[in-house]
Amino acid sequence: MDIDDILASVDRGAGASPESAALDHQQLTRFWVAERAVSEVLPWPAPLMERMMDRVRIQIETIEDLAASSADTDVAGTAHNHHHNPNLNLRLSILQTDLARTQYIIRSLLRQRLAKLTKHSMHYLVQLASRNKNPLTAQSQSQSQSQTPSSNSPNAAPEDSVPDISALADFAPLSEPETSFVHAHQTLLAGHYGGSFMGAFPRQLRRLDDNAGGTSMVQGPETKEVVFVRCLGAEVPVFVGGDDGDGGDEIGITMRMGDVWVVRWEGVRKAWGKGEVELL
Amino acid sequence: MAFPLPRGITASEIAFLAEMEMVTVVPRQRLEGLELLGGPVEPLVPPRRTSLPLWLALLLKRQRRANIIPPPWLHPESLSLILEVESQHQDYKNSFSPPPPLPGQPSVRDHGLEPTVRPQYTLDGNRYYAAPPFLPQNSAQTVISSRDLPALPYHWVEVGNMLLDAASDDLVDPDQIRRLLKDLREVRMAKMRSGVDVLDDAATGGGGVALTGVGAMELGEERGFLAGVVDGLRKIGASKEQARRERLAEQRANGGYDGTQDEEEEDYMEF
Amino acid sequence: MSYYDIDSILTDAQKIPCTFELEVPGLGILEGNPGEDIKAGTRIDLPLWLGEMLSIGARLGTSRLVTLDMPDALAERVMNALKADPRTVDLRALAPHFYTLSERILEIFEEEEMVDVLSDTFKKRAAEISDQAHNPRGRWARASTFSVGSMRMNGSVMFRAAHDRAKQMRIWAGEAKRK
Repeated sequence: MDIDDILASVDRGAGASPESAALDHQQLTRFWVAERAVSEVLPWPAPLMERMMDRVRIQIETIEDLAASSADTDVAGTAHNHHHNPNLNLRLSILQTDLARTQYIIRSLLRQRLAKLTKHSMHYLVQLASRNKNPLTAQSQSQSQSQTPSSNSPNAAPEDSVPDISALADFAPLSEPETSFVHAHQTLLAGHYGGSFMGAFPRQLRRLDDNAGGTSMVQGPETKEVVFVRCLGAEVPVFVGGDDGDGGDEIGITMRMGDVWVVRWEGVRKAWGKGEVELL
Repeated sequence: MAFPLPRGITASEIAFLAEMEMVTVVPRQRLEGLELLGGPVEPLVPPRRTSLPLWLALLLKRQRRANIIPPPWLHPESLSLILEVESQHQDYKNSFSPPPPLPGQPSVRDHGLEPTVRPQYTLDGNRYYAAPPFLPQNSAQTVISSRDLPALPYHWVEVGNMLLDAASDDLVDPDQIRRLLKDLREVRMAKMRSGVDVLDDAATGGGGVALTGVGAMELGEERGFLAGVVDGLRKIGASKEQARRERLAEQRANGGYDGTQDEEEEDYMEF
Repeated sequence: MSYYDIDSILTDAQKIPCTFELEVPGLGILEGNPGEDIKAGTRIDLPLWLGEMLSIGARLGTSRLVTLDMPDALAERVMNALKADPRTVDLRALAPHFYTLSERILEIFEEEEMVDVLSDTFKKRAAEISDQAHNPRGRWARASTFSVGSMRMNGSVMFRAAHDRAKQMRIWAGEAKRK
């Protein structure tokens, strides 16, 4: 399939071309396996997921229509109708199995993401808040943080340490619903902590983003953990460091097409983003 | 929110993935074409061969609506050949026999050749390289040039098991096949486990350990353990890695760093 | 060090030998003599978190309160035993959180040889665990006295990972029954 075909299929709209359905299905499957394989939440593939949800909705309608016509047949019970479409039940069961399989992937994908989000909720909220503030508000934010709000507000509660993300425009790597989920989740959790035990602590010990003692309360996913990858590009280098931190552009081993390697996730994250490796 | 599954797909999820492999069937009845979420399915017209995803082929097979033509590798002759390479061949003493090449990848025989990558493009305009289970590694139509050895596809354990289960009457000498698959599994698992010694290479930044040729189920079985060992080694070696990195940074700052890589990371390590 | 990780917290509580460099008035309580002073040169085992905190002056270049010594669990004697045979030393008896303690100690002391010895030990014992985990009727199934105890923490987590995965696979293939 060449680029013209792709453009043509895009023109016909989502779900219009059967080939594009197959391609999207393959991408969804690959993304699901990847999301199940790494410790961090991967960037939400919004356009792909929108197309998939559209297709699922259309497919459900198709199945309902078919099932309705099958019910009609049963009621009428005429030989003519049976003869008209002897494969109706078979078709129905195939369509339903196919639908259930796709739904399994989507459900597993979403649940895996929520599991990571709740495990590292403060990390993702802090990340979102820091990246999306304009310079002015970011400054006032950091000022209020450095003064540890607890010291000047008498009613400091754990909720106060939940970052404010109300002015957010860019949700990456999350989807918008995931963003509001993680914020609501953390607010509830902080409220619960406050009500059940943190309220009894001294004011300065009621934060959930404390750094005292050199150990941060905000724990992010471990990107140095290893993953299993298949190299899809001709030659793909593995980086020594991660995206941030030193040694980011230093290169270690080089993988060749078709190879399967055990490597650190941070070393191949960029190549994964370009589709040059797949996670196994 | 509780999510009960461990990181990395589990055995049943791997089997689920393997069910997306395309196999060749000979339909025993007609069926109009279908637009599935996984892609279009051609109309079934007996006795014309067609390619179907394994889950659909098995569904039809169980209802006696189709027969499955086994993939060329799932044959006593092919499996014996692979077993011989796997257990006797000098080159593969510590590594797996070579997997079927990806599209554009030169086969083992022409290993001097450069690969020619042929990406497709997704609807969002990104490069996409197909890989198992979305390659015809299990369909009977696969053209195999006579000089190419048969090779175990990525989902060999799952496809082999499922076909033995549901379609043994379509296979040549299923008992022999079952024995050979078991032998292959044992030889290969022993290789996998003897590889713990080289796992340090994956525990440092930029390093890695090659598992080329590994099967999906084999990987699924060992991944928790391998990742656990590498993780432990990384933590024990963290101070050493840090010191090495500081030394390198210092050398660079002094202009003494000539850009050569650490020799230990240059090797292509296999086990 | 991870804030919510219980193993990390327990490791923090393991004791390491510390020597006081200065006389500290009123800290005799650490020695079991409340109200007394602590004399310079006194050796006491302190929890890792406390010892590390008191020794911090050393790193800042100011005068330090205590110097840290290598804990017995990682003494040269142990390293030699591990070099001779990594599999038979009872690590759990040496320290309940042997590997996590090692990680912390190696952050404090620069001991590259120790890194090599421990890495090798870890690999050898892991290989043994893997072999046993894959044998459904092996000694793991009957008694778990041999190295589950000595490999604790990392070890038992790894054993579980190896064993559960292998079991999943056998269940899927119909060779074992779901519990």
